Amino acid sequence: MYYPYFISYMLAGLVIALLVFAWAMKNDQFRDQQRARFLPLFDAPQRKSARASRVSRIEVYTLFGLACVGLCSSFAVVIFALLRVE
Amino acid sequence: MASIVNITEKLGSQAAAKAFTLTSAVWFAFATSFGMIAAGYLIAPDFMANIEFIQFGRSRPIHVNLVLFGFVTPGLLAAALYYAPRLLRTHLYSQRLGVVTAILWNLTLVIGVISLGMGYSQGREYAELPWAVDLMIAGLFGLVIFNLFMTVHRRQEPILYVSIWYACAAVVLTAVGYCLGNVIWKPDSGALLGIPDAILLWFYGHNIFGLLLTPLALGVAYYVLPLATRSPLYSHTLSLIGFWSLIVVYTHVGTHHLLQVPVPTWLKAISIVDSVGMVIPVMVFLINIWFTVKGKLGDIHADIGAKFVFTGTIMYFFANIQGSFMALPQVQRVTHFNNWVVGHAHLGVFAFAGITALGGLYFILPKITKKPLYSRYLADLQYWLILIGVSVMIIDLTIVGLLQGNAWLNGETVYRVLPEIHLYYVIRASAGLFILSGAYLGLYNIVRTLFFNPGAATE
Repeated sequence: MYYPYFISYMLAGLVIALLVFAWAMKNDQFRDQQRARFLPLFDAPQRKSARASRVSRIEVYTLFGLACVGLCSSFAVVIFALLRVE
Repeated sequence: MASIVNITEKLGSQAAAKAFTLTSAVWFAFATSFGMIAAGYLIAPDFMANIEFIQFGRSRPIHVNLVLFGFVTPGLLAAALYYAPRLLRTHLYSQRLGVVTAILWNLTLVIGVISLGMGYSQGREYAELPWAVDLMIAGLFGLVIFNLFMTVHRRQEPILYVSIWYACAAVVLTAVGYCLGNVIWKPDSGALLGIPDAILLWFYGHNIFGLLLTPLALGVAYYVLPLATRSPLYSHTLSLIGFWSLIVVYTHVGTHHLLQVPVPTWLKAISIVDSVGMVIPVMVFLINIWFTVKGKLGDIHADIGAKFVFTGTIMYFFANIQGSFMALPQVQRVTHFNNWVVGHAHLGVFAFAGITALGGLYFILPKITKKPLYSRYLADLQYWLILIGVSVMIIDLTIVGLLQGNAWLNGETVYRVLPEIHLYYVIRASAGLFILSGAYLGLYNIVRTLFFNPGAATE
């Protein structure tokens, strides 16, 4: 009978997650969120933004095309699978 | 000890990140080589007959374990070991410990490959490595946890940026999940008995990707894309909501691999609900990161690392949509137990996490070597080889999966279906060649950048 062990493990995970969450609350990890947005940019050198070239735009369109094909295929399979339900 | 000091000194500052970068690049080449061998067997079962070390039953788990522990994890860890001290405004607790970890990591992988090649496998998917190697991997994660948490402990920055949350959660959850999933207290079999073992295996099997690669990759994306585009994160609060919802939801999805199996119904219900619920953390991440880089595509194209990472985010979108749908029982009747799942695995592990890892490596390389990348052209070429290769492979495997799934539903026998899908296996191997070429080009580029780079020093 393993299920009590599984459930104990899940409860232990939940308790630990709650403890970490409580630590985060206590240590003001959810305050000053505006400053937190800028943390990766600390000590990053400033430079001018790069403009997208023609090649870049073609790459973006290619990726977008791939994305559309993938999305359409996924939906087609879902619809196909649902239609087959007896 | 003296030789480790020498190696650390030779690698200079950022020695740990450099060691993990090299580890990732080398094993990427090996992993794809074994993948090609396995793909060859699927086309011609007599391919390299009588060479026991690389027969399909051995080269396939070697390929999977090397991609997981050899290529993607070290690549993402290399980036984490670079960004963690910067985000915490301190130094890495110990560069030397990082280098020792990388050396032991490689030793573990060599032993793992030799063990699997010699047939010492525990025969459970993603948990094939024998007990001794399991212990070594658990120990390695322990070393990474120690180094990372001591760095967090010595931080000057009070707030933990979301990438730090993800990196810490990934290594801790994986260390625990790995020991449990490999049933490390049973050295002889590494398994429980019957259905409970299946439940435990798929709890582990899904979480070794979902709670290791996903959080590490999201951590990299949250660091690289704002920095490459010089844009503050759209919302740090939103990113934390995404983190906590991922921790709550992702841990329970593994049983969606067992919907056709007599496991308790409540467990199936939880796995389906949470699999669909994964849409929440994923969309939170994507909305946040895409709004962050909105209008900055020029900057993304200007940085090859950011380009890889941004592509990884698009692949993450597909992996999630597909994964959530696949957990629905009606959809799974067609898509499960066939090549559709293999396609999904390549989408999640390689197209999302692997491409993000490569992005992380290319982003940090100029910073850790203080020189420009050896060849931006080679990196761009690698990008397109990999993107074309993995896209073709995923579409191909999806089609094969649909053929197999429908044949099964129609009651057709396996031997009648195999000739129908042979052509698709040839296409799959061809797509694999693109990825293989990309892996070796990347290895050359990274080795040249690390050790033989004539470029002028930057900064």
